[in-house]
Amino acid sequence: SVKQHVVRKFLGLISSHNIPVYLIDPLVLGLVDKDIEQIKSSPGGPSLECKYFCAPRDFTTFALLDKTWKHEVGLFRTAEKMGFQWLKIINKDPRLDGMDDLSGIEIPLHYIFKLASHAIHLVVFYERSGNYLWHGPLRLKQHMDRKFVPFRKLHFGRYPGAYEKPELLLISIDDLKVQIPKNPSSFLEEMSHSRFLECRYREARAFFQLYPDDASLDAVEFRKKAKSLLHLAALTLNNLGVKFWLSSGTCLGWYRQCNVIPHSKDVDLGVFIRDYKADIIPAFQKAGLPLKHKFGKVEDSLELSFQGEDDVKLDIFFFYEEDDHIWNGGTQAKSGKKFKYLFPKFTLCWTEFVELKVHVPCETLQYVEANYGPDWKIPVKTWDWKSSPSNVQYNGVWPIDEWDDVIQIY
Amino acid sequence: MDEWKPNPATKPHKKRSWYLAWKYKLMNQRALRKLCQTGAVLFLLVTVIVNIKLILDTRRAAYEEEEESAQDYDDEMLNVEVPRHPASNKKVLDVEVYSSRSKVYVAVDGTTVLEDEAREQGRGIHVIVLNQATGHVMAKRVFDTYSPHEDEAMVLFLNMVARGRILIFTIKDEGSFHLKDTAKNVLKSLGSQVAPFLSWRDMWTFVGKKGGEVYGEKHAKSPALSTWGDPVLLKTEVHLTSVEDAECHWPDTELTRRRKRFCSKVEGYGSVCSCKDPTPIEFNPDPLKDNKVFDVPVAVIAGNRPNYLYRMLRSLLSAQGVNPQMITVFIDGYYEEPMDVVELFGLSGIQHTPISIKNARVSQHYKASLTATFNLFPDAKFAVVLEEDLDISVDFFSFLSQSIHLLEEDESLYCISAWNDQGYEHTAEDPSLLYRVETMPGLGWVLRKSLYKDELEPKWPTPEKLWDWDMWMRMPEQRKGRECIIPDISRSYHFGIVGLNMNGYFHEAYFKKHKFNTVPNVQLKNVESLRKDAYETEIHRLLGEAEVLDHSKNPCEDSFVPDTEGKVYVMFIRMEQEADFTTWTQLAKCLHIWDLDVRGNHKGLWRLFRKKNHFLVVGVPASPYSSKKPSSVMPIYMEPPAKEEGAAA
Repeated sequence: SVKQHVVRKFLGLISSHNIPVYLIDPLVLGLVDKDIEQIKSSPGGPSLECKYFCAPRDFTTFALLDKTWKHEVGLFRTAEKMGFQWLKIINKDPRLDGMDDLSGIEIPLHYIFKLASHAIHLVVFYERSGNYLWHGPLRLKQHMDRKFVPFRKLHFGRYPGAYEKPELLLISIDDLKVQIPKNPSSFLEEMSHSRFLECRYREARAFFQLYPDDASLDAVEFRKKAKSLLHLAALTLNNLGVKFWLSSGTCLGWYRQCNVIPHSKDVDLGVFIRDYKADIIPAFQKAGLPLKHKFGKVEDSLELSFQGEDDVKLDIFFFYEEDDHIWNGGTQAKSGKKFKYLFPKFTLCWTEFVELKVHVPCETLQYVEANYGPDWKIPVKTWDWKSSPSNVQYNGVWPIDEWDDVIQIY
Repeated sequence: MDEWKPNPATKPHKKRSWYLAWKYKLMNQRALRKLCQTGAVLFLLVTVIVNIKLILDTRRAAYEEEEESAQDYDDEMLNVEVPRHPASNKKVLDVEVYSSRSKVYVAVDGTTVLEDEAREQGRGIHVIVLNQATGHVMAKRVFDTYSPHEDEAMVLFLNMVARGRILIFTIKDEGSFHLKDTAKNVLKSLGSQVAPFLSWRDMWTFVGKKGGEVYGEKHAKSPALSTWGDPVLLKTEVHLTSVEDAECHWPDTELTRRRKRFCSKVEGYGSVCSCKDPTPIEFNPDPLKDNKVFDVPVAVIAGNRPNYLYRMLRSLLSAQGVNPQMITVFIDGYYEEPMDVVELFGLSGIQHTPISIKNARVSQHYKASLTATFNLFPDAKFAVVLEEDLDISVDFFSFLSQSIHLLEEDESLYCISAWNDQGYEHTAEDPSLLYRVETMPGLGWVLRKSLYKDELEPKWPTPEKLWDWDMWMRMPEQRKGRECIIPDISRSYHFGIVGLNMNGYFHEAYFKKHKFNTVPNVQLKNVESLRKDAYETEIHRLLGEAEVLDHSKNPCEDSFVPDTEGKVYVMFIRMEQEADFTTWTQLAKCLHIWDLDVRGNHKGLWRLFRKKNHFLVVGVPASPYSSKKPSSVMPIYMEPPAKEEGAAA
């Protein structure tokens, strides 16, 4: 088959230049995943049929770790000699994007090698601060050949993506030796929600032009503590397998200024109530963050607060999904009053924040506007969580006999 | 090609059957009417299909465009290359050259390539080199030949320029006072008739081809000592040659392509662009065995001193164990020539929009460069920081590879530096010896990522604070009592003479006689003894072994130290408290080592070499090592000089 032939030639090309690539094609990985045990146990035997690489499709997708090769021009010369046509898609280096005044070099994000009717899509992955891999979006510049391949069918490149560094496994399928992620099904799962949002560095710069950053020692200290608290919280929740995102002030800080808001006093995270685990409280306590208060209950308005170092507090708000909106609750300790904060429905995207790969709502603007109103761009120093948010609703009072359970302060 | 059904193939077939049907059906009227009906229906159908397709196509195009711009909010779509110089196919260049007391300019084909009317600046002879085939400006220099030695630099430069290049000269203010005969003869050999007779405050312009014809020369004599010659304006034409004539015929390789690009753009780099025997631009030094710093990023901090950068990168790329992929050159400003140098060596370079001024500018450039380095290499625990005016020792990476684990494990360390402030030719001896010092020498050093990210970056001085980054790093609030590890013999050499805080005199006095290691693969001695507690044991051992010098003698005299080799001597100076460096400063002065501030001390102890003997200086009573002083010995006190003397130094 043409496909198998092209893949074979490509792998030959790549190995002749000592470039390590691994297969990330979702269709092929999906087929491989079904037979994974069998493939692992019978390595290398000649196979008569072409089972994986010959399935009908226009591309086969591979990944390349940027730091494992040297951008030699020789590769492309050899490719041309072998009959490949190739296309390189470059763009600005996002790792330098946050820095106002560096004219970053452009870096290759995607390569496409075309031979006969089949094409190889090579996605370049970069290591970024926060110990994760990133690939860029595929955007054609004006002069580029839009018909080179049917770009819209590509599996990677519609959005940038963030991934864990995968463990690799060398397998032999259809008479070809190829590296794949060790656990194809979890890679495919990861791929399905890998969309990455870059921080809005340009807007953040404009914000700081209007409102110069607080460079006082107190601000520096708070940011340092908030950062380490966030790192600790992320570690704890990730170990438990609890998915979380930046919420409230922490989310606003990311979206508006790509940094922790120095006068915000705490770190706010959101968690879907369906992801709640009873282990959360003991895990944080074990990590050195004692429970400060617990409001509400799993069925209604749950909210946990943990005490970090020197007065910096970690708030975890649990979110409840309804048909047309999502909400979280608040409780006033002294009166037992309940509040409800309403958000339009959202999905989760990855981003990088204070050297951490974390989730934020993909529809961040709607999320922030729901919470802080249309004037979210203007910093406010006095904030009352009961009245300031534009999405707050009064939600009655907890029955007195439940108070011991739903209002716990330590 | 299995799923793709080629449409065009069906077309001719269809056409043919149409034609046959038409011919046949014309036979009778009814058939004709029927044909008309069918034709109308068909026509309608085709119109509808075409329209639908059109709508679909437009929508798809719109969608594609929208998707492109929606995500890419900062995509400068077009990278239009603006030619630096006009008319590559034009055969003649119009050149205008102006010389006067307060202003010079050079225009090529109407484009100003030099204009200098700044006051108190740019005095001397301005030289511009043009490519004889393209007319591009390849080099721009000014030599202040009113001052001594600048004419020598000019001669050096002119000798480096390749034959065939077009040279343009013009004087601003004064260019003859220290223009010696050698230089005048070089100008004469280029075809100048006036140069040998150039004198005080004459104005002069000259255009000629190196080793070829003269395109024009104008001169205005100064009528009197107190006045300048009248401004002169030279207008002339220069005939361009073909590109092939201007290029060398090197074999076609990857390296050659880099070299060609470089050599067609800039001049003044000597044999890199020599046609016959070009100097290598790839070095392939021996790899290091068990190289612990192979994956450590190297940040080269540069400004607009491309010749320095060239020299620096050559030495860096020749050092054993270098990993070119980890090197990034950070250029402070949008200067082309430093970037050309970076590309010549196949390295990556990043330009930095200058913010703020002077020291603060350097400081902001450092911050941006360090942040970018750790962003680009997120796995790195360290970064090597170098500057463009350093030579790098052949065993630089070997030195770091042997010592870097200390920086990782010993929290009382602030940095590892390749530079010993007190390591002069006459005071450094042992390439395998390391010290701990309380000062931060800079000039080729290793920074721990955690120190930068957790401590320095968040409170780095902001642009409005006109601070030197290195002075700031030396402040107790930052250093917090931590120390740096340095070698006795430096692994870097500071060759820069022009710089923000640098001039010829200063360089001659404090840097020129600095010792620089040239021995490869030096095995460092006793590295483990550099750890915090082990070092104290080591010092006590040394002091125990040291012979106390005769304190009745003058410590500045050579005879203060006996004519021995390889012995350890100790002397005691007065040091009332931790910050009392009165005597030390006087001693440093007379020993001709660094005396502008205190460097190289460890708990009131300095270690250096005199006459090939290890020479220890202990400050009494401030130093904890004072206890080693025999009670009979009176610490030496040296008085600071009277005021005038101090000002003169």
